[in-house]
Amino acid sequence: MSALLTVRGIDRTFGAGPSAVHALREVTFDVEPGTMVALVGRSGSGKTTLLNVIGGLDRPDAGTVVVDGDEITGLDEDGLSRLRREKVSYVFQTFGLIPVLSAAENVGVPLRLAKADPREREQRVRLLLELVGLADHAQQLPGELSGGQQQRVAIARALAASPRLLIADEPTGQLDAETGLAVMGLLRGVVESEGVTAVVATHDPVMMALADRVIRIADGQVTC
Amino acid sequence: MKLDRFVPAVHWPSVRGRARADAGPLLLVAAVVAVVALLAGGTPPLLRGTSDDAVRDAIRRAPDSAAVQVDAEWADEYGPTGGRQRQPHLAEDVDSLGVLAQTSLLPSLQKSLRPPVTSVSTVSLAITDGSVQRRLRLEYLHTAAGGPVVTWVAGGPPRASTKIPDIEVPLTAPMWPIQVGLSEAEAAALKVRPGDKVPVQDDNRNPYNVRVSGIFRAADPNDPAWQLAPWALNPVPNVDGLGSTRLAGLLSAESLPDARLAFRTDQLRRGVHFETDPDSLTWESAEALAASVTELKAGSSVSADYGNGLKWTTALDSLLRDVRDQIAAASSQAAVLLIAVLAGALLVIGLTTELLTRRRAIALATARQRGASLPAIAAELALESAAVTVPAAALGLGLSVAATGGAALTWVVPFVLAALCAGPAYGVLAAARATRDRRVPANRSARRWAVRTVLLRRTAVDVAVLALAGAALVALHQRGVVAGGTGLDLPAAAPALVAVAASLLLVRLLPRATRLALRLALRSRRTLLLFGTARAASTASRVLPALSLTAAIALASFAVTLHATTERGLTEGAWLTVGADARLDLRSETTADAPELATRLAAAPGVRHAVAAQVNEVARFTVNSVAVDAELIVVDTAAYRALLADTPLPALPAVATKGSPIPALVHTSDGSLTPGVNFSLLRSGDRAAPLTAAGSAPGAGNVVIVDAAAGLEFDPNTIWITGPGAAKAATDLATGGRLTTLDNALTERRTAPLTAGLLRLYWVAAAVLLALGLLGFALAAAASAPQRWETLARLRTLGLRPRDTQRVAAAELLPMVVFAALCGPLLGSLLARVTLGPLNLRLLTAQTENPEPVVSWWTAELVTVAALAVVLVVVVLAESALRRRRRLGEVLRVGTAG
Repeated sequence: MSALLTVRGIDRTFGAGPSAVHALREVTFDVEPGTMVALVGRSGSGKTTLLNVIGGLDRPDAGTVVVDGDEITGLDEDGLSRLRREKVSYVFQTFGLIPVLSAAENVGVPLRLAKADPREREQRVRLLLELVGLADHAQQLPGELSGGQQQRVAIARALAASPRLLIADEPTGQLDAETGLAVMGLLRGVVESEGVTAVVATHDPVMMALADRVIRIADGQVTC
Repeated sequence: MKLDRFVPAVHWPSVRGRARADAGPLLLVAAVVAVVALLAGGTPPLLRGTSDDAVRDAIRRAPDSAAVQVDAEWADEYGPTGGRQRQPHLAEDVDSLGVLAQTSLLPSLQKSLRPPVTSVSTVSLAITDGSVQRRLRLEYLHTAAGGPVVTWVAGGPPRASTKIPDIEVPLTAPMWPIQVGLSEAEAAALKVRPGDKVPVQDDNRNPYNVRVSGIFRAADPNDPAWQLAPWALNPVPNVDGLGSTRLAGLLSAESLPDARLAFRTDQLRRGVHFETDPDSLTWESAEALAASVTELKAGSSVSADYGNGLKWTTALDSLLRDVRDQIAAASSQAAVLLIAVLAGALLVIGLTTELLTRRRAIALATARQRGASLPAIAAELALESAAVTVPAAALGLGLSVAATGGAALTWVVPFVLAALCAGPAYGVLAAARATRDRRVPANRSARRWAVRTVLLRRTAVDVAVLALAGAALVALHQRGVVAGGTGLDLPAAAPALVAVAASLLLVRLLPRATRLALRLALRSRRTLLLFGTARAASTASRVLPALSLTAAIALASFAVTLHATTERGLTEGAWLTVGADARLDLRSETTADAPELATRLAAAPGVRHAVAAQVNEVARFTVNSVAVDAELIVVDTAAYRALLADTPLPALPAVATKGSPIPALVHTSDGSLTPGVNFSLLRSGDRAAPLTAAGSAPGAGNVVIVDAAAGLEFDPNTIWITGPGAAKAATDLATGGRLTTLDNALTERRTAPLTAGLLRLYWVAAAVLLALGLLGFALAAAASAPQRWETLARLRTLGLRPRDTQRVAAAELLPMVVFAALCGPLLGSLLARVTLGPLNLRLLTAQTENPEPVVSWWTAELVTVAALAVVLVVVVLAESALRRRRRLGEVLRVGTAG
């Protein structure tokens, strides 16, 4: 089976001269489709930088990243936008919901960007909210939801456009342990039910246990 | 006890670091403070200078009203045999009257008046040579310099009529001969030569023996003495308002005693005339002068009796009072505009401070968490604020001194204090909030209670602002702006307060409006519009940005409305003064040709109408035995009606051309002449003419219009001309007279010191307010930029294209722009409607009533929309350029929820 995500020889350095910070060095790995990979490392080890490079939010100084057959390091901004609209989605630690839109409307945002038919959009939103267990909270604003519920809305939004790759940067970082556990279970569930490939940066041992594979990163280098 | 325990510990590296990091906003505060200090510091000295110019201008324009006249009658001096005795030294006695009058003046008045001209004038005598109405006065003139100097071109100066200097003449003696000199123009008009008699008689038909001794030429026609009696040099038409032309024979010191014998005591008037020297006046000295004149008039004798007292007559005090009223009106408007600018500037300072505090929120919270006390933070911020505002204010004041020669602190100090305190106040509040223990309650009802408390607090602030604005508006209508006050009084602040209060009310509606727009956007397929509207709805609850922009644009529109209203008022005032595109006031020798000249003018290219009329500026009428002075216009009413229809002046109603009594159109400001009333025109040397008020005359003041064919004497002295070629035709065809064109009258009004200064101030205030509003908008955009960037970055992770981010950003900022562009000019015009009356604009425009506001909608709206559109595009593009420099991941990493 060919890899959904191929990372080869990624280098990323911030700054120049003596104060330069080498965030990533010669990072290379593959991720098989439908698997959930936990990216583990200490703060400042380069996890977020690596996720940004994989998701096309940042460009590496060297190396290539191929997602579902598209070499994203060679794409222009429009190409990257298309990639993010169709194949890659994100879940952030801080949820990133639009505060004046309801949970359902937030979930529908990627479908609006993809110019999906309104009826299909509504059906898909309803399905996803049911999937994340928030069907009863569809019309509530983010401010009216708890942190865990907001993160579940964020996950539903990330899945809305049926991406091939889901990137999550410490999705339970702002949640208490119990809620975090529920969110992690949800992520594991949607990977299986939606057939999505997920790369999740985390410190959480539970998440590591739930992952199909753990990639450890230290000082910008993959250690195992 | 150590004293330094009570002195807040200032952490200098923090002060320096913050100042370096926020150099841009701090420089912006400095720039706003400097500009406001320049404007607010410089306007009062400019206004003072303009007031001085206005006083001088008023004196120059109305020298007759500004003059001070002293009259003294004289008692009969009978000789030993009961007859009237000739007084050979009468001229010296008369001249000494000037010295007496001058020494009676208060020193303040003496300094402002030019050397006196002493005169003796006889009553006006009818010239009985069978010509048109002409009247002769005998004048003796004497200036302190010994003038007026004349050159005798024929004959010689008037001599005594007797060789016995102190001859006593019986009361029943025949008319006593008098010698007079005549100017060349007058001798030509009377067709007399030296040695000829001038046939004259008084109103009782008593003849006088006046003989011409010589014909003279004035050495200096501008000698003040000739200004006092211009009819001694040239015949002057229509001096008495009844169509007659006045001439004068000049008496000498030798012939004056003969005139004294020839006339009864009540037929001779002696007096002293002081011209006011405009160059010696300033506004302050004019105020003192007005008080001195009032005092002088109050102490004046009712009937001037030589030896007992002098009768002082002058309109100088009322002239100065009128100027004072005009200056008060101009000062009111200047105060209103300056307070408006200060209000706009304060709102911008508030926005800048808010931006600064947002940027520093984390640093301040960290400092507090590390142990910095609130007084220490306040001290640090106060030091920084003082280092920015004080030098900026000093710079502004210095520029003011350099540009205007002075700087007033009245306006500047409160503003600088507010700017000085805003930064520390905001900063300390932010630091205190960041570290206080209060948390959002878990209990839902407690949360609701907290929300209600915030709402109540907000409502209380709104009500307080509304109440203050309402009180200011009521004060403005009840007592107007206090002239010469501190300038910070409540009525002067009314327009600014009303603008702020109304903007506040409208801004409170903005969140509802954006939520409605969001609901509509959710139903549409325009995704970018939805994102922009969603962002706008998120930020709509921030009051200060929209308030600052809307209030500034409203006040700028108000200033533009004031400008447009003043401009329109000046034009209307000019139309009222001239009465057509051009007006030709004919000299006496050319009045006979007036109808023919009017016909030729009407046929000239570019002329639509030319109508000749007899205009007597002051004619006396009696209504039920009460005297009424009014302007009398005798004109072909049909032609005049057609001419008026060609102007913006009110239309002339139809009136019968014949009838007994004579039908007339009337208008009096006190309502003494109304349609249906019978009244009479008093005529010199003739019976009173009966008239009846057949309709209302257009215009203002007192005016009576009679048709030329109605039966009154018709001796046209004025021609009104309309059409684009009116002025040229009048210049080409008229051989004499004074031409007044609408353009000249308008230019004269526009360039008058007060109006010219105010017209400039309107523009400056409008431009500064608009600039402040736009600056406020840019600051608001800068303050909300971090959240906007983060949202856009999130949307980009969902697939939004980079170029679409600009549209989303524009859509977010657009509601505030549209809101301000719609509400600002609307509020400005409403503001003008509710506040213009008490500002007494008519005092400056010479209109009869306070003008209705002229709202130049398109100017205000177009300029506002264009300026806002430009700033919106610049802000969006600048933000976009800055965003491109930052990596998407970087924005997301530093961002918070949003």
